Amino acid sequence: MKLLRELSKKYRVVSVVGMAKNAGKTTVLNYLIEEAADEGIALGITSTGRDGERKDIVTGTDKPGIYLWEDTMVTTPSGLYDMSEAGLEILRVTEYSGALGEILLCRVAEAGYVQTAGPVATADQRGICREMLDRGADMVLVDGAVDRRAIAAPEASDAVILATGAALSRSVAKVVEETMHVAGLYRLPEFSDQAARRIIAENGNSGRLTVFEKKGARFPDVTTGLAAGGVLNEAIGNETKYVYLPGALTEGVVAGVSPSKLKQIAFIVKNPTKIFIDSASWRLLRKKGLRVRVLKNVEIAALTVNPRAPEGYSFDRAALLSAMREAAGGIPVLDVRYAG
Amino acid sequence: MGANGIAVAKVDLKNIKPYGDTMNDGMMELTFTLPVPYGPEADEAAKILGRKMGLDEVSVVFSKDLGQGFTFFAMYGKCRHTVDFTAIKVAKADVEVMSREECQKYIENNIRRDVVVVGATTGTDAHTVGIDAIMNMKGFHGHYGLERYKGIEAINMGSQVSNEALVAKAIETGADAILVSQIVTQKDVHISNMTNLVEIIEAEGIRSRVVLCCGGPRISYELAQELGYDAGFGPHSYAEEVASFVLTEMVRRKLV
Ligand code: B12
Repeated sequence: MKLLRELSKKYRVVSVVGMAKNAGKTTVLNYLIEEAADEGIALGITSTGRDGERKDIVTGTDKPGIYLWEDTMVTTPSGLYDMSEAGLEILRVTEYSGALGEILLCRVAEAGYVQTAGPVATADQRGICREMLDRGADMVLVDGAVDRRAIAAPEASDAVILATGAALSRSVAKVVEETMHVAGLYRLPEFSDQAARRIIAENGNSGRLTVFEKKGARFPDVTTGLAAGGVLNEAIGNETKYVYLPGALTEGVVAGVSPSKLKQIAFIVKNPTKIFIDSASWRLLRKKGLRVRVLKNVEIAALTVNPRAPEGYSFDRAALLSAMREAAGGIPVLDVRYAG
Repeated sequence: MGANGIAVAKVDLKNIKPYGDTMNDGMMELTFTLPVPYGPEADEAAKILGRKMGLDEVSVVFSKDLGQGFTFFAMYGKCRHTVDFTAIKVAKADVEVMSREECQKYIENNIRRDVVVVGATTGTDAHTVGIDAIMNMKGFHGHYGLERYKGIEAINMGSQVSNEALVAKAIETGADAILVSQIVTQKDVHISNMTNLVEIIEAEGIRSRVVLCCGGPRISYELAQELGYDAGFGPHSYAEEVASFVLTEMVRRKLV
């Protein structure tokens, strides 16, 4: 399957995010890098965490390295620069800095293994991705770290590849359920009330918590929906239709709303990365009437499965693939180790 | 020792060995406990273990009955293994550490307002000594905590704080920095707990506004980078290192 060629027709920034640590993100990245070399697609590579190290620093298990070809662009912090075997030409010392030093934007001058790490904040990642595109990359691949998925936000990535697998759970059914929960969130219906959308946009999109009534909108005096509990509940009146949360929608936020009010309203969030409700609670809360709409959802380019877990156990490859395909509702599912 | 801190007597940096009293003698001292009763069999067990660990000329120079079937040993042996020192590359981050007084001056000169720092041990973790060591007035090992710093308002929320509550507090107080402590690492709970915190901070739209630091016995710079933190502080960290990082980072990122 020519995955990258397909992706490059539609998207410029694609992030590879994981359902768990060791879900196979690096393997996916390597697969795409190899295809880019074959297809002559100029890549930029960055990471919201760190990638390319040979041993996982948490589990101590071996990890695949990242081999980059000449002229690929890549970010690496000053503290890891020496650890790359490739020849890296520093294009620019960026204004971004992380726990391992200043982030350097580099061009691979001599092919080889690279350790990559980029800005940890999503807003800064956007800056780096844009710069790599401006400097001539056809596409940028962002490697997400651990189970961090903020980079999937539509402002940051045009599409995501969601990596999942045995690392998530010892049960295939559970892996499928948890993964499809996230995939389901990424494909939530977009909020269709144009008048309300306009009001949100006028308040700078991210701006303020807004309560939409049958007629008009109010801005209660709460700085964040988190731990706002009672205040948020009181702000919801008989006529309230929607509550727009500029920030996170967590179980705690939902718990603060009384059962009858929960049935009456829908929560609006900016995008699915703002939702922090696990699959079991989601199912329960849906039964209690929880409704959520997003201003913009996340485009899932593909789901990838890794049948092996770092703990040593593994699933039957074909069984995992078919279980995931059956649930995926049309999203391409692949095991990149066998896709070539 | 030579001027640059490297032993002079013909050290072969490609094959370094432990130093006892002559170069490359490989001599090491080990202390440990075995769950067996004190006696000659116990000493022999310790020696066998030493050989398996790659030691030659093993001798048990001290052993003591700890009672209840345990024995403590001090053992000498010559290590067979060598390390190529020239091939070692370590991920580093260098922060220039200022003293408390220097930090206070730095705030006066460069920030000119109070700096708000909110800290907590999060999730189910109930260990408070680490975060207290950094934040509380009294500090740790004679290093005063952040509460003692003029110009820093340190809010220590204690332990078992939910990520939501920590972020809510940070937003409410307009915090410049968030400090999170994770001591319990069984089943890697600290990993998912810390990524969840970063993700909520991103979702609340304040990631670019705060300096985000984590700390604990298994935290390193590398892990901090992977988890999405600006810095990670491991064992033997003190308040002045944290303050120096937070303050210089605020200025560097123009958060003043
Ligand atoms: C004291 C202690 C307790 C006390 C805690 C009291 C309190 N108020 O904190 C009590 C008895 C309550 C306790 C309980 C438990 N404990 Co306990 N405890 C310890 C002990 C003995 C000392 C920890 C300590 O205080 N260290 C001193 C401080 C100063 O060091 P530190 O935490 O590393 O902090 C330094 C740095 O790491 C860093 N730092 C830390 N946090 C932060 C944060 C920031 C922002 C920064 C910048 C820096 C920073 O700076 C600090 C100063 O240099 C350790 C064993 C040991 N010797 O380490 C076990 C230990 C931590 N406990 C352990 C366990 C398992 C538990 C329990 C689960 C036991 C049980 N089965 O019930 C419970 C946990 C309950 C819970 N829900 O969390 C294990 C953890 C194992 C693991 N890797 O997960 C340990 C390692 C013991 C062991 N070997 O098994 N414990």
